[in-house]
Amino acid sequence: MKKKWFLLITLILALSIFMLACGDKEEEPPAPGVTTDAPDETDAPDETDAPEVPAGGVFTIGALLPMTGPEAYYGNDMYQSYQMAIDEINEAGGVLGYTFEIFNEDDACDAAQAATAGSKIISAEPDIVVGGYCSGATIPALQQFYDANLVVLVSAANSTNITDLALEQTFMVNSPGTHGVQTLTKLAKSLGVTKIATIHQGDDYTKNLSDIVERDMPGDGFEIVAVEVMEKGAADVSAIVTAIRNAGAELVYWCGYHADGSNVIKQLRQGGYEGEIVCGDGSSSVDLITGSGEAGEGVYVTSPPYVELAEGGTEYVAKYEELYGQPPGGYSTLCYDTIYVIKEAIEEAGSIEYEALRLAVENIDYPGMSGRIKFAENHELAESNFMIVKIENGEFVLVEVD
Amino acid sequence: MFSPGEIILQQTVNGLILGCFYALISLGYTMVYGIVRLLNFAHGDIYMVGAFVGFFVFGALAAITGTGWLSIILAMVAAMFLCGVLGFLIQRFAYRPLLDAPRLSLLITAIGVSLILQNAMMILTNGEFKFFNHSVNPRAGISLGNVTITWIQMVLLGITAVLLISLTWFVSKTIWGKAMRAISMDRPTCRLMGINVNTIIGITFFIGSALAAVAGVMACVYYGNVHYFMGYIMGMKAFTAAVIGGIGSIPGAMLGGLLLGLLEAGGTQVLGSSWKDVFAFGILIIMLIFKPTGLLGKTEVERM
Repeated sequence: MKKKWFLLITLILALSIFMLACGDKEEEPPAPGVTTDAPDETDAPDETDAPEVPAGGVFTIGALLPMTGPEAYYGNDMYQSYQMAIDEINEAGGVLGYTFEIFNEDDACDAAQAATAGSKIISAEPDIVVGGYCSGATIPALQQFYDANLVVLVSAANSTNITDLALEQTFMVNSPGTHGVQTLTKLAKSLGVTKIATIHQGDDYTKNLSDIVERDMPGDGFEIVAVEVMEKGAADVSAIVTAIRNAGAELVYWCGYHADGSNVIKQLRQGGYEGEIVCGDGSSSVDLITGSGEAGEGVYVTSPPYVELAEGGTEYVAKYEELYGQPPGGYSTLCYDTIYVIKEAIEEAGSIEYEALRLAVENIDYPGMSGRIKFAENHELAESNFMIVKIENGEFVLVEVD
Repeated sequence: MFSPGEIILQQTVNGLILGCFYALISLGYTMVYGIVRLLNFAHGDIYMVGAFVGFFVFGALAAITGTGWLSIILAMVAAMFLCGVLGFLIQRFAYRPLLDAPRLSLLITAIGVSLILQNAMMILTNGEFKFFNHSVNPRAGISLGNVTITWIQMVLLGITAVLLISLTWFVSKTIWGKAMRAISMDRPTCRLMGINVNTIIGITFFIGSALAAVAGVMACVYYGNVHYFMGYIMGMKAFTAAVIGGIGSIPGAMLGGLLLGLLEAGGTQVLGSSWKDVFAFGILIIMLIFKPTGLLGKTEVERM
């Protein structure tokens, strides 16, 4: 019998490696001959297939996104948002004669696959790297990009573990978890609660968020009464709900993503929990409302810039829906802004060379759809872009707290 | 806050409900293993397909029969039948040609079928989460102090009990059940005795898949969302439950499922949710050391 089990495990391992290798069916490989590797401005404008472009060539953007796996919906949404900005820029004639082109590698929101995807991006020789949804599946690739001298703009992932790496060419376009917890603290104070419970999912982003709550909030007079872990995709959290109720929590902070979040909200209410529920930024999605139904009424979200509530948001949503037949997700404007930040940076730098580009991004100050994009010393956003929204009558409404 | 007695009661209810899901799914593993010695790794995905069939049928029925229990039961019946047929077809086209091949080929085929089902559903649903919004009040039920047992939970327990009892009756009293048990003991001899082995194997797959489909639709009702990935964790846990109970044994699968559910709920309460699986699987390992064939498993003598 022993031998059989050994064989079985070997097989499963072999299969998962096989899946890793094949997990990138959506990839659109860039035409290898076209990719120009950091040419000087004075380079002769030749060998491009876009004759109307006067100089430059193609500026290739590599995207690290989950295109399969549980977060596939978001990866796809982010890719479309990049594409929308890229098309706009290309239609307007590009930047310095460069047209933008994007390709993606699938990290499947999985740390092991992210490392493979990172290597594949590097081997395709892009000029810059964007992406990053799941922090846990972004971090493994970041060091590789650093070694390959590629500027990275992380659009959505916002674990402080990213900036803790202190890589000189990595920037976080989304507000980090610390900003989210500051917003939560304000909200909790205004609600007059003191006993906080968190639920995370054990991965980089959600655990990081929960850790920040545990670290920062007791100093403000709050008590963390429970820290629970829900396995990703696990259906049943009733036992956790009972434990939380037993701990006497007055506010539950859900640190995970929206898909499991709507399930958690439902079960909290089904299990008789009557206190406040606040969700982290990973849950900022209309799907949270549809998914949680009636149980979702009155739930707060510490949200990244919510597109419909932003300036010009209605037009943005209309355009996005027309192009892709679905509403933009919670990170859409961040991705859209990411591309425009790249455009600004290229214009500022006057070149697409690594060091010039890196410096230009470091000093960028761009008023984006998602808020002001300007980086602090540690490459996090200087200003928080978080807002508080609440579900009322099946819609997100903005809540002002001071 | 709860009193200690209330906590135990509430966590027992939580564990029992979860255990019902595990039990229904693990039955499919154990029946198939019993009859063709195959670890059918596609079984968790049948549960997922069942949930989706239920979701789509429920959506179609909502306009006619409303969004209450009637539609839910009809969706469940439809899912049972369609998944049963799916299970039968998978067996007919993917497994039957390999029944006499080395067992590893069957296992790989099963993993392949699992990937096919998952990816097909991902393409079909665009990788999105679907939400099953019924109009049954999820909080109504009987309250005992701080503990509430909802009607939905009671119906789920009831449906599971009915199915488990009828399955036991089917296997022990009917001629088909007798044939199933006979085949699990000695397939070649059964064939010689004139039992239509292929039909019986087909029936086994049909029943196992139908039970998984019930669990799938129950998950729709109880948890409220469906996605193409949902079969993976459930499948693994149900497989574990089948091993706890002694794979190949039907009462064992039921017992193993309920036990695993209770262990997880207990683990969450006692050690916290981050240690719940460590607790449940730790106990499982200790138990298997003392009883390697599972709780109700038979010691098997391999003949050379």
